[in-house]
Amino acid sequence: MIRFEQVAKRYPGGHDALIDLSFTVAAGEMVFVTGHSGAGKSTLLKLLSLVERPTRGSVHVDDVDLSRVRRRRVPQVRRGIGMVFQDHRLLMDRSVFDNVALPLVIAGAPRAEAAKRVRAALDKVGLLAREKAAPTLLSAGEQQRVGIARAIVGKPPLIIADEPTGNLDPQLSVGIMQLFAEFAQVGTAVLVASHDLHLIKRMNQRVLVLDHGRLIDDFRPQAAA
Amino acid sequence: MNVRRRPARRSAPEPAPPKRARAPRQTAGARLGRWRDHHLYGLLSSLGRLAVRPLATVLTVTVLGVALALPLLLQAALDNLRAFSGGLREAREITVFLDPDVAAAAAAEIAAGWRARPDVAEVIVRTPEQGLAEFRQLSGFSEALEVLDSNPLPTVLVVAPAGAAAEGGDGALVAAIEADARVDLVQHDAAWRRRLTAIMTLGERAAVALAALFGLATLLVVGNTVRLDVQSRAEEIAIMQLMGAGDGFVRRPFLYAGLWYGLLGAVVAILIVLAMHLALRDALAQLIASYGGQLTVRGIAPTALLATLAGGAALGWLGAWIASTRQLRRTA
Repeated sequence: MIRFEQVAKRYPGGHDALIDLSFTVAAGEMVFVTGHSGAGKSTLLKLLSLVERPTRGSVHVDDVDLSRVRRRRVPQVRRGIGMVFQDHRLLMDRSVFDNVALPLVIAGAPRAEAAKRVRAALDKVGLLAREKAAPTLLSAGEQQRVGIARAIVGKPPLIIADEPTGNLDPQLSVGIMQLFAEFAQVGTAVLVASHDLHLIKRMNQRVLVLDHGRLIDDFRPQAAA
Repeated sequence: MNVRRRPARRSAPEPAPPKRARAPRQTAGARLGRWRDHHLYGLLSSLGRLAVRPLATVLTVTVLGVALALPLLLQAALDNLRAFSGGLREAREITVFLDPDVAAAAAAEIAAGWRARPDVAEVIVRTPEQGLAEFRQLSGFSEALEVLDSNPLPTVLVVAPAGAAAEGGDGALVAAIEADARVDLVQHDAAWRRRLTAIMTLGERAAVALAALFGLATLLVVGNTVRLDVQSRAEEIAIMQLMGAGDGFVRRPFLYAGLWYGLLGAVVAILIVLAMHLALRDALAQLIASYGGQLTVRGIAPTALLATLAGGAALGWLGAWIASTRQLRRTA
Protein backbone atom coordinates (compact mmCIF):
# COMPACT_ATOMS: atom_id res chain seq x y z
CA MET A 1 0.00 0.00 0.00
CA ILE A 2 2.74 2.44 1.00
CA ARG A 3 6.37 2.09 -0.04
CA PHE A 4 9.12 4.55 0.97
CA GLU A 5 12.45 3.98 -0.80
CA GLN A 6 15.51 5.81 0.52
CA VAL A 7 13.51 8.94 1.01
CA ALA A 8 15.26 12.12 2.10
CA LYS A 9 13.70 15.49 2.67
CA ARG A 10 15.74 18.61 3.14
CA TYR A 11 13.84 21.85 3.69
CA PRO A 12 15.05 25.07 2.14
CA GLY A 13 17.57 26.39 4.63
CA GLY A 14 19.33 23.07 4.99
CA HIS A 15 17.30 21.34 7.68
CA ASP A 16 17.24 17.59 7.07
CA ALA A 17 13.78 16.41 8.14
CA LEU A 18 14.08 12.86 6.82
CA ILE A 19 17.23 10.90 5.97
CA ASP A 20 17.34 7.66 3.97
CA LEU A 21 13.94 6.42 5.02
CA SER A 22 12.70 3.06 3.72
CA PHE A 23 9.69 1.05 4.83
CA THR A 24 6.48 -0.48 3.52
CA VAL A 25 2.99 -0.62 4.92
CA ALA A 26 0.51 -3.24 3.74
CA ALA A 27 -3.20 -2.72 3.18
CA GLY A 28 -5.11 -3.31 6.39
CA GLU A 29 -2.08 -2.52 8.52
CA MET A 30 -2.15 0.03 11.32
CA VAL A 31 1.20 1.71 11.92
CA PHE A 32 2.23 4.28 14.49
CA VAL A 33 4.96 6.75 13.64
CA THR A 34 6.60 8.09 16.75
CA GLY A 35 9.63 10.06 17.87
CA HIS A 36 10.44 13.30 19.60
CA SER A 37 8.99 16.47 18.18
CA GLY A 38 10.92 17.50 15.08
CA ALA A 39 11.91 13.90 14.36
CA GLY A 40 10.12 14.04 10.99
CA LYS A 41 6.71 12.49 11.77
CA SER A 42 4.74 15.31 10.22
CA THR A 43 7.07 15.53 7.23
CA LEU A 44 6.54 11.83 6.58
CA LEU A 45 2.77 12.32 6.48
CA LYS A 46 3.12 15.45 4.32
CA LEU A 47 5.01 13.45 1.72
CA LEU A 48 2.04 11.08 1.53
CA SER A 49 -0.50 13.88 1.12
CA LEU A 50 1.77 15.62 -1.41
CA VAL A 51 1.96 18.76 0.69
CA GLU A 52 5.73 18.27 0.46
CA ARG A 53 7.87 16.47 -2.10
CA PRO A 54 10.90 14.36 -1.21
CA THR A 55 14.35 15.72 -2.02
CA ARG A 56 15.58 12.21 -2.87
CA GLY A 57 14.09 8.73 -3.09
CA SER A 58 10.56 7.73 -4.02
CA VAL A 59 7.21 7.32 -2.32
CA HIS A 60 4.66 4.91 -3.74
CA VAL A 61 1.05 4.82 -2.62
CA ASP A 62 -1.16 2.10 -4.07
CA ASP A 63 1.51 1.53 -6.76
CA VAL A 64 1.42 5.18 -7.82
CA ASP A 65 4.82 6.86 -7.82
CA LEU A 66 4.03 10.15 -6.12
CA SER A 67 7.06 11.88 -7.63
CA ARG A 68 5.43 11.44 -11.04
CA VAL A 69 2.18 13.08 -9.96
CA ARG A 70 1.90 16.50 -11.52
CA ARG A 71 0.35 19.42 -9.72
CA ARG A 72 -2.91 19.05 -11.62
CA ARG A 73 -3.27 15.42 -10.52
CA VAL A 74 -2.53 16.07 -6.84
CA PRO A 75 -6.22 16.49 -5.88
CA GLN A 76 -7.01 13.08 -7.33
CA VAL A 77 -4.32 11.43 -5.18
CA ARG A 78 -5.57 13.25 -2.09
CA ARG A 79 -9.11 11.98 -2.66
CA GLY A 80 -7.73 8.51 -2.01
CA ILE A 81 -6.40 9.50 1.41
CA GLY A 82 -8.44 10.22 4.51
CA MET A 83 -6.69 12.86 6.60
CA VAL A 84 -7.12 13.55 10.30
CA PHE A 85 -5.42 16.51 11.94
CA GLN A 86 -4.48 17.33 15.51
CA ASP A 87 -6.58 20.50 15.41
CA HIS A 88 -9.25 18.61 13.39
CA ARG A 89 -9.52 21.54 10.90
CA LEU A 90 -13.28 21.57 10.56
CA LEU A 91 -15.09 24.37 8.75
CA MET A 92 -16.59 26.18 11.71
CA ASP A 93 -19.26 27.99 9.70
CA ARG A 94 -20.85 24.77 8.45
CA SER A 95 -22.81 22.05 10.13
CA VAL A 96 -21.37 18.70 11.17
CA PHE A 97 -23.17 17.10 8.25
CA ASP A 98 -21.72 19.57 5.73
CA ASN A 99 -18.22 19.09 7.12
CA VAL A 100 -18.40 15.33 6.76
CA ALA A 101 -19.98 15.67 3.31
CA LEU A 102 -17.18 17.93 2.02
CA PRO A 103 -14.98 15.18 0.51
CA LEU A 104 -18.02 13.73 -1.26
CA VAL A 105 -19.09 17.15 -2.55
CA ILE A 106 -15.57 17.66 -3.86
CA ALA A 107 -15.53 14.21 -5.46
CA GLY A 108 -18.95 14.97 -6.95
CA ALA A 109 -20.85 12.01 -5.47
CA PRO A 110 -24.57 11.99 -6.24
CA ARG A 111 -26.39 13.79 -3.43
CA ALA A 112 -28.67 11.00 -2.26
CA GLU A 113 -25.79 8.55 -2.03
CA ALA A 114 -23.62 11.18 -0.32
CA ALA A 115 -26.24 11.78 2.38
CA LYS A 116 -26.41 8.05 3.06
CA ARG A 117 -22.65 7.75 3.36
CA VAL A 118 -22.36 10.83 5.57
CA ARG A 119 -24.90 9.35 7.99
CA ALA A 120 -23.12 5.99 7.93
CA ALA A 121 -19.80 7.70 8.76
CA LEU A 122 -21.37 9.78 11.54
CA ASP A 123 -23.02 6.67 12.90
CA LYS A 124 -19.67 4.92 12.99
CA VAL A 125 -18.14 7.65 15.17
CA GLY A 126 -21.29 7.86 17.29
CA LEU A 127 -22.37 11.35 16.27
CA LEU A 128 -25.39 10.66 14.09
CA ALA A 129 -27.61 12.66 16.46
CA ARG A 130 -25.43 15.78 16.07
CA GLU A 131 -25.45 16.07 12.28
CA LYS A 132 -27.16 19.48 12.30
CA ALA A 133 -25.00 20.94 15.07
CA ALA A 134 -22.31 23.55 14.47
CA PRO A 135 -18.82 22.19 15.23
CA THR A 136 -18.27 24.94 17.80
CA LEU A 137 -20.99 23.43 19.96
CA LEU A 138 -19.20 20.08 20.17
CA SER A 139 -16.61 18.97 22.70
CA ALA A 140 -12.99 18.53 21.62
CA GLY A 141 -13.42 14.75 21.43
CA GLU A 142 -16.59 15.10 19.40
CA GLN A 143 -14.93 17.56 17.03
CA GLN A 144 -12.10 15.11 16.46
CA ARG A 145 -14.60 12.36 15.74
CA VAL A 146 -16.29 14.61 13.17
CA GLY A 147 -12.84 14.99 11.62
CA ILE A 148 -12.51 11.21 11.53
CA ALA A 149 -15.96 10.80 10.00
CA ARG A 150 -14.86 13.25 7.30
CA ALA A 151 -11.70 11.22 6.69
CA ILE A 152 -13.53 7.91 6.26
CA VAL A 153 -16.66 9.07 4.44
CA GLY A 154 -15.03 8.58 1.04
CA LYS A 155 -13.89 5.07 2.05
CA PRO A 156 -10.27 5.82 1.22
CA PRO A 157 -7.77 2.92 1.08
CA LEU A 158 -5.40 4.95 3.29
CA ILE A 159 -5.96 7.04 6.39
CA ILE A 160 -3.23 9.27 7.79
CA ALA A 161 -3.57 11.00 11.12
CA ASP A 162 -1.17 13.59 12.55
CA GLU A 163 -1.33 13.57 16.37
CA PRO A 164 -5.08 12.88 16.30
CA THR A 165 -5.24 12.67 20.08
CA GLY A 166 -2.81 15.49 20.83
CA ASN A 167 -5.51 17.63 22.39
CA LEU A 168 -7.53 14.88 24.06
CA ASP A 169 -7.41 13.24 27.45
CA PRO A 170 -6.22 9.62 27.69
CA GLN A 171 -9.64 8.03 27.89
CA LEU A 172 -10.93 9.78 24.77
CA SER A 173 -7.64 9.05 23.03
CA VAL A 174 -8.03 5.31 23.46
CA GLY A 175 -11.50 5.48 21.96
CA ILE A 176 -10.19 7.37 18.94
CA MET A 177 -7.33 4.92 18.42
CA GLN A 178 -9.71 1.98 18.67
CA LEU A 179 -11.73 3.55 15.88
CA PHE A 180 -8.60 3.64 13.72
CA ALA A 181 -7.81 0.01 14.58
CA GLU A 182 -11.27 -0.98 13.39
CA PHE A 183 -10.72 0.71 10.05
CA ALA A 184 -7.45 -1.20 9.68
CA GLN A 185 -9.26 -4.45 10.39
CA VAL A 186 -11.47 -3.96 7.35
CA GLY A 187 -8.56 -3.42 4.97
CA THR A 188 -7.71 0.26 5.26
CA ALA A 189 -4.06 1.14 5.80
CA VAL A 190 -3.81 3.51 8.76
CA LEU A 191 -0.77 5.62 9.56
CA VAL A 192 -0.88 7.53 12.84
CA ALA A 193 1.80 9.97 13.96
CA SER A 194 1.85 10.21 17.74
CA HIS A 195 4.31 10.82 20.55
CA ASP A 196 2.05 9.25 23.17
CA LEU A 197 4.08 6.13 24.00
CA HIS A 198 1.67 4.81 26.63
CA LEU A 199 -1.16 4.90 24.19
CA ILE A 200 0.96 3.27 21.47
CA LYS A 201 1.95 0.42 23.76
CA ARG A 202 -1.62 -0.15 24.70
CA MET A 203 -2.73 -0.40 21.09
CA ASN A 204 -0.31 -3.22 20.33
CA GLN A 205 0.36 -2.24 16.72
CA ARG A 206 3.44 -1.86 14.58
CA VAL A 207 5.56 1.18 15.48
CA LEU A 208 8.06 3.15 13.39
CA VAL A 209 10.43 5.20 15.53
CA LEU A 210 12.06 8.26 14.01
CA ASP A 211 15.00 10.13 15.46
CA HIS A 212 16.35 13.25 13.77
CA GLY A 213 14.87 12.10 10.49
CA ARG A 214 16.24 8.54 10.61
CA LEU A 215 14.22 5.40 11.10
CA ILE A 216 15.84 3.86 14.18
CA ASP A 217 13.32 1.18 15.01
CA ASP A 218 10.45 -0.74 13.41
CA PHE A 219 8.79 -3.11 15.82
CA ARG A 220 5.55 -4.57 17.01
CA PRO A 221 5.19 -4.52 20.80
CA GLN A 222 4.41 -7.96 22.16
CA ALA A 223 1.42 -8.52 24.36
CA ALA A 224 3.83 -8.66 27.28
CA ALA A 225 4.62 -4.97 26.96
CA MET B 1 -12.12 19.60 29.47
CA ASN B 2 -14.71 17.18 28.35
CA VAL B 3 -14.08 13.77 29.72
CA ARG B 4 -16.81 11.09 29.93
CA ARG B 5 -18.57 9.52 26.98
CA ARG B 6 -16.54 6.79 25.42
CA PRO B 7 -16.81 6.97 21.66
CA ALA B 8 -20.32 5.76 21.72
CA ARG B 9 -22.03 2.96 19.94
CA ARG B 10 -20.29 1.93 16.75
CA SER B 11 -21.92 0.06 13.98
CA ALA B 12 -20.01 -2.70 12.28
CA PRO B 13 -17.42 -1.00 10.02
CA GLU B 14 -18.14 -1.38 6.37
CA PRO B 15 -15.38 -3.01 4.38
CA ALA B 16 -13.47 -0.44 2.42
CA PRO B 17 -13.06 -1.32 -1.23
CA PRO B 18 -9.38 -2.07 -1.73
CA LYS B 19 -8.82 0.53 -4.42
CA ARG B 20 -10.50 3.84 -4.89
CA ALA B 21 -7.60 6.06 -5.84
CA ARG B 22 -8.37 5.64 -9.51
CA ALA B 23 -11.97 6.63 -10.00
CA PRO B 24 -14.06 4.14 -11.96
CA ARG B 25 -15.08 5.14 -15.45
CA GLN B 26 -18.16 7.28 -15.33
CA THR B 27 -21.04 7.53 -17.72
CA ALA B 28 -21.74 10.83 -19.44
CA GLY B 29 -24.87 11.20 -17.33
CA ALA B 30 -22.95 10.83 -14.08
CA ARG B 31 -20.37 13.34 -15.26
CA LEU B 32 -23.10 15.80 -16.22
CA GLY B 33 -24.69 15.31 -12.82
CA ARG B 34 -21.37 15.99 -11.12
CA TRP B 35 -20.80 19.06 -13.26
CA ARG B 36 -24.26 20.36 -12.37
CA ASP B 37 -23.76 19.63 -8.66
CA HIS B 38 -20.40 21.40 -8.65
CA HIS B 39 -21.83 24.49 -10.31
CA LEU B 40 -24.86 24.47 -8.05
CA TYR B 41 -22.49 24.28 -5.09
CA GLY B 42 -20.41 27.17 -6.43
CA LEU B 43 -23.49 29.25 -7.16
CA LEU B 44 -25.07 28.71 -3.75
CA SER B 45 -21.92 29.22 -1.73
CA SER B 46 -21.14 32.41 -3.69
CA LEU B 47 -24.57 33.81 -2.84
CA GLY B 48 -24.01 32.78 0.76
CA ARG B 49 -20.72 34.67 0.82
CA LEU B 50 -22.35 37.83 -0.53
CA ALA B 51 -25.17 37.54 1.98
CA VAL B 52 -22.89 36.99 4.97
CA ARG B 53 -21.59 40.55 4.73
CA PRO B 54 -24.51 42.56 3.34
CA LEU B 55 -23.04 46.01 4.03
CA ALA B 56 -19.74 45.25 2.31
CA THR B 57 -21.61 43.72 -0.62
CA VAL B 58 -23.89 46.75 -0.98
CA LEU B 59 -20.91 49.12 -0.86
CA THR B 60 -18.98 47.16 -3.47
CA VAL B 61 -22.00 46.91 -5.74
CA THR B 62 -22.70 50.65 -5.40
CA VAL B 63 -19.12 51.56 -6.28
CA LEU B 64 -19.35 49.32 -9.32
CA GLY B 65 -22.72 50.84 -10.21
CA VAL B 66 -21.36 54.39 -10.15
CA ALA B 67 -18.29 53.39 -12.13
CA LEU B 68 -20.39 51.72 -14.81
CA ALA B 69 -23.00 54.53 -14.82
CA LEU B 70 -20.55 57.31 -15.76
CA PRO B 71 -19.69 56.10 -19.29
CA LEU B 72 -23.35 55.20 -19.81
CA LEU B 73 -24.42 58.72 -18.90
CA LEU B 74 -21.85 60.27 -21.21
CA GLN B 75 -23.04 58.02 -24.02
CA ALA B 76 -26.64 59.03 -23.37
CA ALA B 77 -25.67 62.71 -23.41
CA LEU B 78 -23.86 62.25 -26.73
CA ASP B 79 -26.82 60.40 -28.24
CA ASN B 80 -29.09 63.27 -27.32
CA LEU B 81 -26.67 65.89 -28.56
CA ARG B 82 -26.28 64.10 -31.89
CA ALA B 83 -30.03 63.86 -32.36
CA PHE B 84 -30.37 67.51 -31.40
CA SER B 85 -27.70 68.75 -33.78
CA GLY B 86 -29.18 66.67 -36.56
CA GLY B 87 -32.44 68.48 -35.95
CA LEU B 88 -30.85 71.85 -36.49
CA ARG B 89 -31.49 71.99 -40.21
CA GLU B 90 -30.78 75.68 -40.24
CA ALA B 91 -27.17 74.98 -39.54
CA ARG B 92 -26.78 73.61 -43.04
CA GLU B 93 -28.58 76.43 -44.72
CA ILE B 94 -27.05 79.56 -46.16
CA THR B 95 -28.89 82.72 -45.31
CA VAL B 96 -28.59 85.47 -47.94
CA PHE B 97 -29.62 89.03 -47.17
CA LEU B 98 -30.34 90.92 -50.40
CA ASP B 99 -29.88 94.67 -50.83
CA PRO B 100 -32.93 96.44 -49.40
CA ASP B 101 -33.39 98.02 -52.84
CA VAL B 102 -34.08 94.72 -54.54
CA ALA B 103 -37.78 94.41 -55.21
CA ALA B 104 -39.85 91.32 -54.58
CA ALA B 105 -40.07 90.39 -58.27
CA ALA B 106 -36.31 90.69 -58.68
CA ALA B 107 -35.79 88.59 -55.57
CA ALA B 108 -37.99 85.83 -56.99
CA GLU B 109 -35.97 85.97 -60.20
CA ILE B 110 -32.72 85.59 -58.29
CA ALA B 111 -34.17 82.68 -56.35
CA ALA B 112 -35.24 80.96 -59.56
CA GLY B 113 -31.74 81.42 -60.96
CA TRP B 114 -30.13 79.77 -57.96
CA ARG B 115 -32.63 76.94 -57.90
CA ALA B 116 -31.34 75.93 -61.30
CA ARG B 117 -27.84 75.28 -59.88
CA PRO B 118 -27.04 71.59 -59.29
CA ASP B 119 -25.57 72.30 -55.84
CA VAL B 120 -28.76 73.94 -54.59
CA ALA B 121 -31.64 71.87 -53.27
CA GLU B 122 -34.06 74.61 -52.39
CA VAL B 123 -34.34 78.35 -52.16
CA ILE B 124 -36.93 79.84 -49.85
CA VAL B 125 -37.88 83.46 -50.25
CA ARG B 126 -38.74 85.42 -47.15
CA THR B 127 -40.25 88.77 -47.92
CA PRO B 128 -39.58 91.72 -45.64
CA GLU B 129 -43.17 91.44 -44.44
CA GLN B 130 -42.72 87.83 -43.42
CA GLY B 131 -39.45 88.76 -41.74
CA LEU B 132 -41.11 91.51 -39.79
CA ALA B 133 -43.92 89.26 -38.64
CA GLU B 134 -41.46 86.58 -37.56
CA PHE B 135 -39.31 89.11 -35.80
CA ARG B 136 -42.33 90.42 -33.94
CA GLN B 137 -43.31 86.95 -32.80
CA LEU B 138 -39.94 85.75 -31.69
CA SER B 139 -38.25 88.69 -30.11
CA GLY B 140 -40.96 90.42 -28.18
CA PHE B 141 -39.85 93.68 -29.76
CA SER B 142 -43.29 94.22 -31.21
CA GLU B 143 -43.79 97.53 -29.44
CA ALA B 144 -40.46 98.89 -30.57
CA LEU B 145 -41.22 97.78 -34.11
CA GLU B 146 -44.52 99.69 -34.06
CA VAL B 147 -42.52 102.89 -33.90
CA LEU B 148 -40.88 102.31 -37.27
CA ASP B 149 -42.37 104.09 -40.26
CA SER B 150 -41.30 101.57 -42.80
CA ASN B 151 -40.07 98.02 -42.83
CA PRO B 152 -36.27 98.14 -42.55
CA LEU B 153 -35.83 94.45 -43.31
CA PRO B 154 -34.46 93.22 -46.63
CA THR B 155 -35.68 90.23 -48.59
CA VAL B 156 -33.98 87.10 -47.32
CA LEU B 157 -33.25 84.05 -49.41
CA VAL B 158 -32.62 80.81 -47.53
CA VAL B 159 -30.54 78.47 -49.69
CA ALA B 160 -30.37 74.78 -48.85
CA PRO B 161 -27.26 73.25 -50.44
CA ALA B 162 -27.50 69.89 -52.23
CA GLY B 163 -25.01 67.06 -52.77
CA ALA B 164 -21.42 67.71 -51.72
CA ALA B 165 -22.26 71.31 -50.90
CA ALA B 166 -24.63 70.10 -48.18
CA GLU B 167 -21.86 68.05 -46.53
CA GLY B 168 -19.70 71.06 -45.91
CA GLY B 169 -18.18 71.57 -49.34
CA ASP B 170 -20.24 74.66 -49.99
CA GLY B 171 -17.32 77.04 -50.54
CA ALA B 172 -17.97 77.44 -54.28
CA LEU B 173 -21.68 78.03 -53.77
CA VAL B 174 -21.06 80.64 -51.10
CA ALA B 175 -18.49 82.38 -53.29
CA ALA B 176 -20.92 82.47 -56.20
CA ILE B 177 -23.64 83.96 -54.04
CA GLU B 178 -21.32 86.54 -52.55
CA ALA B 179 -20.20 87.57 -56.05
CA ASP B 180 -23.73 88.64 -56.92
CA ALA B 181 -23.96 92.46 -56.71
CA ARG B 182 -27.53 92.38 -55.40
CA VAL B 183 -26.43 90.44 -52.33
CA ASP B 184 -25.76 92.46 -49.23
CA LEU B 185 -24.68 89.80 -46.71
CA VAL B 186 -24.18 86.03 -46.66
CA GLN B 187 -24.44 84.16 -43.42
CA HIS B 188 -23.65 80.49 -43.16
CA ASP B 189 -22.56 78.23 -40.36
CA ALA B 190 -20.11 75.88 -41.98
CA ALA B 191 -17.36 76.67 -39.51
CA TRP B 192 -19.69 76.18 -36.56
CA ARG B 193 -20.89 72.90 -38.00
CA ARG B 194 -17.36 71.64 -38.48
CA ARG B 195 -16.62 72.55 -34.90
CA LEU B 196 -19.72 70.71 -33.67
CA THR B 197 -18.75 67.61 -35.63
CA ALA B 198 -15.26 67.77 -34.11
CA ILE B 199 -16.73 68.12 -30.63
CA MET B 200 -19.03 65.16 -31.20
CA THR B 201 -16.14 63.01 -32.43
CA LEU B 202 -14.08 64.03 -29.43
CA GLY B 203 -17.00 63.24 -27.12
CA GLU B 204 -17.42 59.80 -28.63
CA ARG B 205 -13.73 59.05 -28.23
CA ALA B 206 -13.90 60.30 -24.65
CA ALA B 207 -16.88 58.02 -24.00
CA VAL B 208 -14.93 55.02 -25.28
CA ALA B 209 -11.86 55.98 -23.24
CA LEU B 210 -14.01 56.50 -20.13
CA ALA B 211 -15.75 53.18 -20.66
CA ALA B 212 -12.35 51.48 -20.89
CA LEU B 213 -11.12 53.24 -17.74
CA PHE B 214 -14.20 52.46 -15.71
CA GLY B 215 -14.21 48.92 -17.06
CA LEU B 216 -10.70 48.63 -15.68
CA ALA B 217 -11.91 50.11 -12.39
CA THR B 218 -14.66 47.47 -12.26
CA LEU B 219 -12.09 44.77 -12.86
CA LEU B 220 -9.89 46.12 -10.07
CA VAL B 221 -12.70 46.60 -7.56
CA VAL B 222 -14.04 43.07 -8.09
CA GLY B 223 -10.51 41.69 -8.18
CA ASN B 224 -9.58 43.34 -4.91
CA THR B 225 -12.81 42.28 -3.20
CA VAL B 226 -12.31 38.70 -4.29
CA ARG B 227 -8.63 38.80 -3.32
CA LEU B 228 -9.57 39.82 0.23
CA ASP B 229 -12.26 37.16 0.30
CA VAL B 230 -9.76 34.50 -0.80
CA GLN B 231 -7.31 35.64 1.87
CA SER B 232 -9.90 35.56 4.63
CA ARG B 233 -10.80 32.04 3.55
CA ALA B 234 -7.25 30.76 3.33
CA GLU B 235 -7.83 28.14 6.02
CA GLU B 236 -11.01 26.88 4.40
CA ILE B 237 -9.27 26.71 1.03
CA ALA B 238 -6.32 24.81 2.55
CA ILE B 239 -8.71 22.25 4.07
CA MET B 240 -10.55 21.81 0.79
CA GLN B 241 -7.28 21.33 -1.06
CA LEU B 242 -6.23 18.66 1.44
CA MET B 243 -9.58 16.93 0.90
CA GLY B 244 -8.71 16.73 -2.78
CA ALA B 245 -10.39 19.84 -4.16
CA GLY B 246 -8.89 20.97 -7.45
CA ASP B 247 -8.35 24.59 -8.47
CA GLY B 248 -11.64 24.63 -10.34
CA PHE B 249 -13.64 23.57 -7.32
CA VAL B 250 -11.98 26.10 -5.03
CA ARG B 251 -12.24 28.89 -7.56
CA ARG B 252 -15.83 28.38 -8.69
CA PRO B 253 -17.59 30.11 -5.75
CA PHE B 254 -15.31 33.12 -6.17
CA LEU B 255 -16.02 33.30 -9.89
CA TYR B 256 -19.74 33.23 -9.24
CA ALA B 257 -19.30 35.93 -6.58
CA GLY B 258 -17.46 38.08 -9.13
CA LEU B 259 -20.24 37.47 -11.62
CA TRP B 260 -22.86 38.61 -9.10
CA TYR B 261 -20.83 41.70 -8.21
CA GLY B 262 -20.55 42.69 -11.87
CA LEU B 263 -24.17 41.92 -12.66
CA LEU B 264 -25.54 43.74 -9.61
CA GLY B 265 -23.19 46.66 -10.32
CA ALA B 266 -24.61 46.87 -13.85
CA VAL B 267 -28.15 46.83 -12.46
CA VAL B 268 -27.28 49.70 -10.11
CA ALA B 269 -25.66 51.58 -13.01
CA ILE B 270 -28.83 51.21 -15.07
CA LEU B 271 -30.94 52.40 -12.15
CA ILE B 272 -28.68 55.45 -11.78
CA VAL B 273 -29.01 56.26 -15.48
CA LEU B 274 -32.79 55.84 -15.36
CA ALA B 275 -32.98 58.10 -12.31
CA MET B 276 -30.86 60.75 -14.04
CA HIS B 277 -33.05 60.45 -17.13
CA LEU B 278 -36.18 61.03 -15.06
CA ALA B 279 -34.63 63.91 -13.17
CA LEU B 280 -33.29 65.73 -16.24
CA ARG B 281 -35.87 64.84 -18.87
CA ASP B 282 -38.26 67.76 -18.38
CA ALA B 283 -35.58 70.40 -17.99
CA LEU B 284 -33.79 69.13 -21.08
CA ALA B 285 -36.99 68.97 -23.10
CA GLN B 286 -37.63 72.64 -22.30
CA LEU B 287 -34.12 73.55 -23.34
CA ILE B 288 -34.54 71.73 -26.65
CA ALA B 289 -37.94 73.35 -27.20
CA SER B 290 -36.40 76.78 -26.69
CA TYR B 291 -34.14 76.06 -29.67
CA GLY B 292 -37.23 75.26 -31.70
CA GLY B 293 -36.38 71.55 -31.70
CA GLN B 294 -39.09 68.94 -31.77
CA LEU B 295 -37.06 66.23 -30.05
CA THR B 296 -37.92 64.05 -27.13
CA VAL B 297 -35.13 63.25 -24.73
CA ARG B 298 -33.80 59.78 -25.38
CA GLY B 299 -33.07 57.21 -22.73
CA ILE B 300 -30.70 54.32 -23.32
CA ALA B 301 -31.48 51.75 -25.95
CA PRO B 302 -32.49 48.27 -24.70
CA THR B 303 -29.51 46.76 -26.51
CA ALA B 304 -27.18 49.10 -24.61
CA LEU B 305 -28.82 48.00 -21.34
CA LEU B 306 -28.30 44.35 -22.21
CA ALA B 307 -24.72 45.06 -23.21
CA THR B 308 -24.15 46.80 -19.87
CA LEU B 309 -25.48 43.78 -17.95
CA ALA B 310 -23.43 41.33 -19.98
CA GLY B 311 -20.33 43.54 -19.81
CA GLY B 312 -20.64 44.02 -16.05
CA ALA B 313 -21.05 40.30 -15.45
CA ALA B 314 -18.13 39.47 -17.75
CA LEU B 315 -15.85 42.05 -16.09
CA GLY B 316 -16.78 40.77 -12.63
CA TRP B 317 -16.10 37.19 -13.63
CA LEU B 318 -12.78 38.13 -15.22
CA GLY B 319 -11.68 40.18 -12.20
CA ALA B 320 -12.54 37.30 -9.88
CA TRP B 321 -10.71 34.85 -12.12
CA ILE B 322 -7.53 36.90 -12.17
CA ALA B 323 -7.55 37.51 -8.42
CA SER B 324 -8.44 33.97 -7.35
CA THR B 325 -6.00 32.34 -9.76
CA ARG B 326 -3.17 34.54 -8.51
CA GLN B 327 -4.00 33.75 -4.88
CA LEU B 328 -4.34 30.01 -5.55
CA ARG B 329 -0.92 29.89 -7.19
CA ARG B 330 0.45 31.26 -3.95
CA THR B 331 -1.29 28.82 -1.61
CA ALA B 332 -0.98 25.63 -3.64
